[in-house]
Amino acid sequence: MERLEFDELDKLSEQKEVFAPDATFEAPVKNIGKGHLFMAVEEVMPEIGATDLEVSGEIAESKGKGYPIARRDVMRLFSASAILGATACVKRPAEKIVPYVNQPIDFAPGNPVYYATTCNECPAACGVVVKTREGRPTKLEGGPEHPVSQGALCAIGQASIQSLYHPERHKSPLFQTNGHAKELSWEAAFDRIGAIVKGSKKVGIITKGSTGSQRKFYAEFLTKIGSKSENVFTWDANGLYSSISEAHRLAFGVEGLPRLELARASTIVGIGSDILDVGTSVVYHSKGLSQALSIKGLEKGELVQFEAVMSLTGGRADKRHVIPVGSELATTLLLVRALHEKTAAKGSKGARAVIASVLDANKGALDQAYDVIGVKKEVFEALAHKMLEKPSVLVAGGTASFDENATSLQVAGIFANILLGAYGSILNFDKGWSASPVKAGDMKRFVEASPDLDVVFVIGTDPSFSLPASYGFSEALTKVKTIISIQNFPAEVDRLAEFILPADHYLETWGDEEPVSGFLSIRQPAVRTTVNSRQPEEMLMWIAASAGAPMGYADYRTYLSAQWKSYYEMAGAKVDYETFVKAVLRRGFIGKLDTRTVGDLIDVKISLTLPESGLKLVAPFDHRLRDGSFAHIPILQEVGDGMTTIAWDSWIAINPNTCRKLGLKRNDVIRVEGPGGFFEGAVFPLPGLHPDAIVAPRGNGHTDKRSTISNGVGFNPLAAFSKAEDKVTGQPVTSGQKVKLSLVGKTYRLAAMQKHHDIGNRSDIIRTTSLATLANEGREKDLDSVPDLYPDILQRGDYRWGMSVDLSKCTGCGACMTACSLENNVAQIGREQILLGREMHWIRLDRYFNGEVDSPGVTFQPVMCQQCNHAPCEAVCPVLATTHDDEGINAMTYNRCVGTRYCGNACPYKVRRFNWWTYKWNTMGEKERDRNIKALNPDVTVRTRGVMEKCNFCVGRLRDAKLSAKERSKEFGREFRVQDSDVKTACQQTCPSDAITFGDLKNPGSGISKLRRDPRAYLLLGGFPEEKEYGLKTMPNVSYLMKVGADNESVAGSEGTQAPKHG
Amino acid sequence: MSDTVQWDKTVSDVNEGILKGVEGRPHPTYYIALVFALTLLAIGITGWGLIISFGIGLSGKSSPVYWGTFITDFVFWVGIGHAGTLISAILFLFRAKWRNSINRSAEAMTVFAVITAGLFPLIHMGRVWNGFWTLPLPNTNNMWVNFRSPLLWDVFAISTYLTVSLLFWYMGLVPDIASLRDRVKGFKRFVYGILSLGWTGNIRQWHHYETGYGFLAALSTPLVLSVHSIVSWDFAMALQPGWHTTIFPPYFVAGAILSGCAMVYNLVVPVRKMFRLEGFIKEEHLEACLKLTLLTSTIVAYAYAIEFFVAWYSGNYYEWAIFKGRATGPYSFYFWTMTFCNCVFPLLLWSRKIRYNIPVAMVICFLINIGMWFERYNIVISSLAEDFLPGSWGHYEPSIIDMCMTFGSFGWFFTWFLIFTKFFPFVSMSELKLIMPKPLRRKPTH
Repeated sequence: MERLEFDELDKLSEQKEVFAPDATFEAPVKNIGKGHLFMAVEEVMPEIGATDLEVSGEIAESKGKGYPIARRDVMRLFSASAILGATACVKRPAEKIVPYVNQPIDFAPGNPVYYATTCNECPAACGVVVKTREGRPTKLEGGPEHPVSQGALCAIGQASIQSLYHPERHKSPLFQTNGHAKELSWEAAFDRIGAIVKGSKKVGIITKGSTGSQRKFYAEFLTKIGSKSENVFTWDANGLYSSISEAHRLAFGVEGLPRLELARASTIVGIGSDILDVGTSVVYHSKGLSQALSIKGLEKGELVQFEAVMSLTGGRADKRHVIPVGSELATTLLLVRALHEKTAAKGSKGARAVIASVLDANKGALDQAYDVIGVKKEVFEALAHKMLEKPSVLVAGGTASFDENATSLQVAGIFANILLGAYGSILNFDKGWSASPVKAGDMKRFVEASPDLDVVFVIGTDPSFSLPASYGFSEALTKVKTIISIQNFPAEVDRLAEFILPADHYLETWGDEEPVSGFLSIRQPAVRTTVNSRQPEEMLMWIAASAGAPMGYADYRTYLSAQWKSYYEMAGAKVDYETFVKAVLRRGFIGKLDTRTVGDLIDVKISLTLPESGLKLVAPFDHRLRDGSFAHIPILQEVGDGMTTIAWDSWIAINPNTCRKLGLKRNDVIRVEGPGGFFEGAVFPLPGLHPDAIVAPRGNGHTDKRSTISNGVGFNPLAAFSKAEDKVTGQPVTSGQKVKLSLVGKTYRLAAMQKHHDIGNRSDIIRTTSLATLANEGREKDLDSVPDLYPDILQRGDYRWGMSVDLSKCTGCGACMTACSLENNVAQIGREQILLGREMHWIRLDRYFNGEVDSPGVTFQPVMCQQCNHAPCEAVCPVLATTHDDEGINAMTYNRCVGTRYCGNACPYKVRRFNWWTYKWNTMGEKERDRNIKALNPDVTVRTRGVMEKCNFCVGRLRDAKLSAKERSKEFGREFRVQDSDVKTACQQTCPSDAITFGDLKNPGSGISKLRRDPRAYLLLGGFPEEKEYGLKTMPNVSYLMKVGADNESVAGSEGTQAPKHG
Repeated sequence: MSDTVQWDKTVSDVNEGILKGVEGRPHPTYYIALVFALTLLAIGITGWGLIISFGIGLSGKSSPVYWGTFITDFVFWVGIGHAGTLISAILFLFRAKWRNSINRSAEAMTVFAVITAGLFPLIHMGRVWNGFWTLPLPNTNNMWVNFRSPLLWDVFAISTYLTVSLLFWYMGLVPDIASLRDRVKGFKRFVYGILSLGWTGNIRQWHHYETGYGFLAALSTPLVLSVHSIVSWDFAMALQPGWHTTIFPPYFVAGAILSGCAMVYNLVVPVRKMFRLEGFIKEEHLEACLKLTLLTSTIVAYAYAIEFFVAWYSGNYYEWAIFKGRATGPYSFYFWTMTFCNCVFPLLLWSRKIRYNIPVAMVICFLINIGMWFERYNIVISSLAEDFLPGSWGHYEPSIIDMCMTFGSFGWFFTWFLIFTKFFPFVSMSELKLIMPKPLRRKPTH
């Protein structure tokens, strides 16, 4: 076995600041400067020894301050590279890993090994660190140094571990005739497909969006076998990629997506935007927005949202204006007009002339628009004024606004951003832009080209489901003689396919992504294939070979290796190429931002038509299930939609006032009849929607019986849409078509996890404040000085673990719930049990509306076990199954529990969860399916029936951190304590908005100690200690930070002064 | 009150009249009742079997309503078990003569009700097979119980109460079993012989008996107050609004006596018919029982009112929200059922005419039992469903299994009770003789 070069690794360890004991804590308070997030390669990999790459001033500065890198993360990378160096780079991980008869010398069973790779669930390409135990991936975490994910990961990324081990993946290649599937051997499949391909030459490939070398490889394959390289058709149901890219082509003549650095903005205006729901790179934008909106001294950024639906982005907004469906373009142009009229507006003369001509051309429509959209001119004036004062940006468009004008909307957004001077600072289009993962109009091209094609490969995408039936994709596909579906999970398109070839999950494959131009993010296998699947690209190589046109690569990795050569040259590393690749794999990414010259605004036309009134259907992505590609993942179904808290269902959200007018009640089944067809579903009255908006999320509605998890769940709202396309990109319209509603006369109970939306006047639960109040009255809090008969309770133990949740930051995305469930082996229980109220989430998201039904304020409150120091649950357990440990954790001894559930009753926060049934690993939802025990975290017990469970601050992680501190203490002969950077709970680790902070309250310098003293800190149901009123006096170790509005009016609701008292 | 009793039977009729039912055949309705009780019991056993096999998830409980009808039933049956000791012990000490005709049935009811109640914590447990962990049994793992937990106090309270009531009841039975032993032959004689513990009825035995009985009565008296107080602490000791109040112990005791008296009435009247005991359990005795019912009903009504007043007066928002919710929220039906059954209908008992109208009084007592069940249901469920954080609120409806267990518990109780009435004297013969007229009273001669 090849030994790895330790001296190489040692060079990394020479970076002494890496081991800084207590790294700078809260990211948002740091100055976010240019270039911070995209690090230069030599900064992280000194062994490459590049000298001629540019090092920005901020980086040099951050080195001086102590680079905020976690020691554990470095250890992770060490071990990752250790294993990679030994195995992965040379060949795939060994097939039989356990038992280790000949155990690798640097490997200890029980110790996790981490691999850096890149998520493939959406084209955002977040860096992922895969934790593997004895060769099996058990948990995914955002790569802490990866500039896109920055340590965080969305719910979908977290959940992909369940799709890796999904029991319903195809087990072998299938040959399908007349609906009968026959298993084939790989050789037979390749031979037969090779023969077909050889005979036809008219071959096409439909593939999912990707920014990496994949598309180039497919083109090369097509050329090799004698087809045309243009026959690669990319498809992503998220039309933002193509519309933003096309808009920039129209405006500047060059394609691409600008890199959006929200962290640098002060006022952010979203118009129909869903950057926190789906967007183009949800984790990166959540991180950025969280930093932009965090409190810096006495200032705070502001998010203003105009939308017709109720998105998480709108929920997070400081101000939210409700506009009619389809009026996003008008709203944007009105803002452009307001900006254009201001003298402070930026932009070159030429650009301003173009904008002026567009405004003039649409003057009539714009003058009427104020009345149509119901927002006054003064609002735009004030907003424009505010936006021009400070760095600001406009983010337009989202999955809820895919209409004919989706690209025009982006162009209008470009106008606004030019006037705001956002290009070059917040929006980077000249340096490190993102190439569009999809080519605009590809599906339209395919539908037109399909009669000319004989063979089509559908790889990793399912347009049969994610395109409206009226678009004609499936009809077009049936015109093709041979369809080969290559999917890592059964898809609807399989129905039409002659050959179904099981593809590797992304955790089993090689690949690369280029999320930002010039920046390479590597995908490498973390595990050998778990089912009889293969890498799609290698299948194509075999097929090409069978067709008599071998591609000339041993495997896909060889191909990639050749592609990566350019980065080697760019990096100018002094080491040989193999070492370079090893170093890159260790970290998972490398890059230097590409630069290009972008010209001024080209003369571009927009014609504005104002939307008519009347009920209109909007089908945005469900933020968990997206276009439906993740509907088969139980944890995503179970996490529930953030705004409605509905799990395992689709719903039709309608404004409550409209419901009243139409005589609809919650759970009434209605038929929504659109121009293209109809669908039926249950009504969910949702405050904050435009009265004319009928919002039905996409994602569910699979009827293909290929996954028992998604089959029959919900409906597909695309059925109602008639064929209509974006004028520029050809992307199907999924918003704004007129519909008629009729009662079916049935009811269907929607499994909403939260039954009550209104917090009433219990304003001590969600507390709000304003910057002005903080400035005038903000004093340091002392939440722990409570008169107490047992004063030593806070003194015991070496540590006292605490957590802080910032209500100002939480967006309700559900990533924490997913991470928690996967870390702690929390069961998924399915719709029936959720209807009974038996959800098992250890951390839940309470969502409260306040204010008016038409424009409510929304607050998300993550509630996990509060780890009370005087825990009501501990006193009442007859068998001492729940006890307090010396470190402030309210521990749960599952083995001892007899299930009286008294603790659950006594808990005022109702965070305890009971195992009503045997929710073992063989249950996936209510459907009995083997979830595969491989996906369980071996560090955490699986609880049996009749036992109470709850959050324990990821006690296993704490134990690991303490052990490692102990080892260090032994090694260095002085005492090491666990520091903030040493341990993160699963929810904290993955939170894309950095809303959760965790640490040691005994250490007065730790981040958590600071936040517990913060003027905004309060304890849930903890009364007002400064007024000698201590609430329930449970003395939790979890504290919350009040929600802050940019000004007094921003946060609706009272300011906590008339909060209820309790004795 | 017994002074005014119009006896038409004398002491010499006692043994014959009361043991007739035991030796002979009772009224056919007895068998109908027994079959009915056994059917309910079978339903209950099936339900429990299903729960043990598949999980407590079969009940309708959820988060946040972790307790449901099982705890309701538990409190209900403990409450029923209350009146027995009150009637037999406290009234014994007060020398209330009317108790002598119904104390046996009341004590039997107590014992069976407590046994029934004791099952419910087990039925309710998630892992009943580990139920013995709630006992402080020394073990090598050094696992101990939590003496701070009201549930543990329950374990002690219920087991003590059961032990004392059982002893008290059995001790009172001994002389009567001896009379029975003397009248039967064969195997029955053998069994009754063992059960009568060698009672011969001599003066020394009577002397010891009376002393011991008095002691047990004194010992039981505090238990009457303690048991239901401790049961009430299951709720009062938790932070839950609607539970966390100091009025609970007296309020629960009063409620328990109310339901117990009503249940005694409901039980005695039919059994009196089945075993033709009208001559021994007189209308006047039953009427006395109704007076006690009326008294406790007014105490309960007062407790309800005070509870509301304190919830409002405390200024505690959460407490007041729970009480408002009870009266107007999703569980208001149960609340108003409870109020009408426990406070309004019993007011009819102020009328002497109604007190002597057995069918009407039966209906009122039946309604009181329903009302008392709903009182517990109200306390348990409506407080839990909507407590502090609206985000965690839920709803509870009993599932079929929940109802099976409730009806099954009645089956279990009535099966025992009917078996008892068939094999043991339903009225305490020895004590009855104390209050009945003597048969041959010679006129004094001068």
